[in-house]
Amino acid sequence: MRPFHPEFIFTALRQILPYLWVTIATMAGTVFFGSLAGILLARAKIRRGPVLRALSEIYIYVTRCIPSIVMLFIVYYGLPEFMLAFGIDINNFSKAFFVIVTFSILFAANMAEVFRAAYESIDPGQREAALSAGLSEWQAFYRIILPQCIVVALPNFTNALVNLMKEGSLSYTIGMLDVMGKGQLMIGINHGSYSLEVYLALSLIYWAMTLVIEHGFGTLEKHLSKGRKIVAAS
Amino acid sequence: MLEVKDIHKSYSGNEILKGVSLKVEKGDIIVILGPSGSGKTTLLRCLNFLERAEKGSIDFDGIHTEFKSATGHQINEIRKRTGFVFQNYNLFANKTALQNVTEGLIVARKVPKKEAVDRAKQALDKVGLSDRYDYYPSQLSGGQQQRVGIARAIAVNPDVILFDEPTSALDPELVGEVLNVMKSLAEEGATMVVVTHEMGFAQDVASRVVFMDGGTIVEEGTPHEIFSRPRDPRTIQFLRRILREDYEYSI
Repeated sequence: MRPFHPEFIFTALRQILPYLWVTIATMAGTVFFGSLAGILLARAKIRRGPVLRALSEIYIYVTRCIPSIVMLFIVYYGLPEFMLAFGIDINNFSKAFFVIVTFSILFAANMAEVFRAAYESIDPGQREAALSAGLSEWQAFYRIILPQCIVVALPNFTNALVNLMKEGSLSYTIGMLDVMGKGQLMIGINHGSYSLEVYLALSLIYWAMTLVIEHGFGTLEKHLSKGRKIVAAS
Repeated sequence: MLEVKDIHKSYSGNEILKGVSLKVEKGDIIVILGPSGSGKTTLLRCLNFLERAEKGSIDFDGIHTEFKSATGHQINEIRKRTGFVFQNYNLFANKTALQNVTEGLIVARKVPKKEAVDRAKQALDKVGLSDRYDYYPSQLSGGQQQRVGIARAIAVNPDVILFDEPTSALDPELVGEVLNVMKSLAEEGATMVVVTHEMGFAQDVASRVVFMDGGTIVEEGTPHEIFSRPRDPRTIQFLRRILREDYEYSI
């Protein structure tokens, strides 16, 4: 067996880092579409009629029970078949498309629960106060309730984001060339040698990303949480 | 100025209001008394459309509508011309005291920001909080929060202010400061409908006392009529219980 070459970690980093944007872009896409769908699901669960609520609950229940890698393959093989039934050929779509669809489906279920819990943590009396002050339902929501929801939701959102980043590394299994995919490729080119160095390089990258995410959202939370639990001043 | 007729409201088959009618003239201080569960709070909430009554009509200074068929526009008009003070204050936790008051002015009534801030400061000064403009609700005591709630209600120059048990959630030593503010508002000629358990306030300040029980108005009259010679047995029993409690607690 080849001896351990720590300096190869840097070689690996240099080669992998150019693919970081793929990882970040697919994450961003997932967060965008997943959160959007999550908001709609949470909304359905909170107040719409019994039918929508049941549908939303079934969706959340089912998707939360499916491992990401299983969902990834279901989407990768299933979605083209499904679309073909409507005469749309998506077989040549980028791998990133399937990754974003897969993780949006899963992320939406998580976000629905995060948003619902955040919404229900805000005393409904504030909504009533806003309405009786003459604000419309929408104004009461986005001026009074939403800013407080965001603060409550941020820690859970950050957790979900870190999980998404880690699970996203599974995308290499359908051949996407993100940081993980590039790492696998390097190992393959070297016929399995330098595996440890490459995986260490990958750990460093994921570790740094986690640090940035947690620090970034921690700062944001501090910035947004005005009025919450400040030490009582006399 | 404000007249409601024959309000009915029930929750899941349980009738809370069984045909209540109430008339409020400008400058009236109406105090609504009654045991818990008698529908006092529900009545007040129906007036502000926080609950939708199933039956009955409302006449509010030119706006006439059935509760059931009131349009969003009419509801908003009525809300803009009333102030509501909640039992649990319900201040906007993400806004300062000043912003709590300006919110309804700037957002709902399109008052220019500078004028809104001036009016909000006046309202906060009136309730004795001129040194608390920039405090968040979490930094204020219960009594101070409720006074911000009152400032929020009066800053919009409402035709009538509705108070829903404004002192019930307060520590006993903070009740006085809120009642004093309400009393001075009454002396300035504000029109108020107050649901409360403060018998002293009812006796001193009310122009009319309404006694409710079991979802109906049992008796109404001047404080003197209600407290000195109540006629209905339910009123007599209620007053005896409350006033005796007062007596027992004041030992």
